Amino acid sequence: MSDSAYSFVELQEICRTDRYVQYELFFGPNFPGMHGNFGYILDVAGSTIVGVRPNPGLLHRGFEKLMEQKSWIQNISLIPRICVPDPDPNEAAYCQAIEKIMGLEVPPRGRYLRTIVLEMSRLSSYLMGMGALGAMMGLYTGMYRMINDRDLLMDLFEWLTGARIYHIYMLPGGVRRDLPEGWSQRLSEVLDTLEGNLPEWDRLVFENPVVVKRLTGIGPVTDAEAVSYGLTGPNLRAAGVRADIRIDDPYAAYPELEVEIPITGGGDALARAVQIRLEYEATIRLLRRVLRAIPGGAFRTPIGNPLKFTVPAGDAYARVESSKGEFGYHVVSDGGLKPYRVSVRGPSLPAGLALCHKHLPGMLIDDVAIWMASLAVCPPDFDR
Amino acid sequence: MSIAELADRVARENPGCRVSERYGNQLELKSPVRQWVTTLSQLKTAGFEHLSNLACVDWIDQDELELLANLWSHARRVHVTVKTRVPREAPAVPTVHALWPQAGVYEREIHEFFGVDFPGNPELEPMFLHNWKDLPPLRKDFDTREYSRRAYGFLEEEQE
Repeated sequence: MSDSAYSFVELQEICRTDRYVQYELFFGPNFPGMHGNFGYILDVAGSTIVGVRPNPGLLHRGFEKLMEQKSWIQNISLIPRICVPDPDPNEAAYCQAIEKIMGLEVPPRGRYLRTIVLEMSRLSSYLMGMGALGAMMGLYTGMYRMINDRDLLMDLFEWLTGARIYHIYMLPGGVRRDLPEGWSQRLSEVLDTLEGNLPEWDRLVFENPVVVKRLTGIGPVTDAEAVSYGLTGPNLRAAGVRADIRIDDPYAAYPELEVEIPITGGGDALARAVQIRLEYEATIRLLRRVLRAIPGGAFRTPIGNPLKFTVPAGDAYARVESSKGEFGYHVVSDGGLKPYRVSVRGPSLPAGLALCHKHLPGMLIDDVAIWMASLAVCPPDFDR
Repeated sequence: MSIAELADRVARENPGCRVSERYGNQLELKSPVRQWVTTLSQLKTAGFEHLSNLACVDWIDQDELELLANLWSHARRVHVTVKTRVPREAPAVPTVHALWPQAGVYEREIHEFFGVDFPGNPELEPMFLHNWKDLPPLRKDFDTREYSRRAYGFLEEEQE
């Protein structure tokens, strides 16, 4: 017997006479398609959404306040946690902001090593993103197989940095250590494996009629809209705007490398899926070029005792093209042993908290998870 | 147009603002708070159509809060940081949510974490913090250790 307050007959009567048209649905971490600890409170009529209120806060860890209480170098072990699948852009943007204020130069080999780690991080994030796209519509095979590919990159990260997920590899002035013996060779082999698997991903996900039909028309964004909402990265390029921070505001070794930026256009979820698929392939080619061009020499400019490391008073904004778009750090220093203020610009905020008001109303509940996956909404970067 | 020419043009079009160049491709623009909306709207029209973010800094020793807007021009490939200062007591900055849809969200965040009011912004209710009744937590006089002691009391236990 259930301990419900209503008997079965009473429940039947309630269902028969219920005149509510609109219900509130908490689309939160308990939903299998939700990315991370975040939620939308949806007003639904039947299966159609009529209103949306984003509900962040479940994931708030107070990074910006914590950063003001830790030394400049300690913070490098804290910030990769702001984005789990793509952590390295955080380290790079933070270090670049410090280097701008100090006028610190990174030696050429250090810049190339940063580029390698950033591009590997992009690959591993795209693998997760492409897998998640399929998983959002029940195609888990892609997710499992792509996580397997991602693990090959994690092994390389572990070999180079000592850590699989949060690498804590960059320092103001360069990187923490040089490439181990045999590492580049292994990376080339892994790149061959990743490229060899691509036709299979195409058959499984990108040429799959179910996936194509399901993604077509979800969350359309025009180029003007993408710019005014502040969308960046693959989302902006999938809307047809030619913009990439690696070319427009170059950092690391990108000015010396030929960066291909595929432009899909079209602006819906399918265009965004194809965009990351093309960028994945371009990233593999870019990594091969980096491995061919990497110079010798020092990989770090000495910064002295890290416990006594200070940054002169001033402020700077530095941005990095992550797999989801612009990761920006505005760092303010008062000359002390700790940052005075660090403000983080996560790439998911424009879509996750602003564009949702425009896109979700009118959409079916089933499409919300796909919409989030296609725009790469990663809540930890706005709910920090 | 070189960065120096652009700096001259921005300074001409925004009298009352102080413009300086830095880091090769960046401009810094210090605007009085009464010109905040006109400056940002003028910059948007001049091609700085991408708002990276809005941020706030608590300069407690000078008893001021500083608001920062980071703008980027896709066409010119130039970054502008616009800064304005307001007193810490009852700070208010006019809203720019009509210029960029996501600016309203940044303002809501700053309202919650720094206590800055944005007259004209229709959505300023708390979003990240649940039932928060203390000082806005990113202000410099908010002491995290003291708050933990008051709210959870575990620090005394550890010391015993």
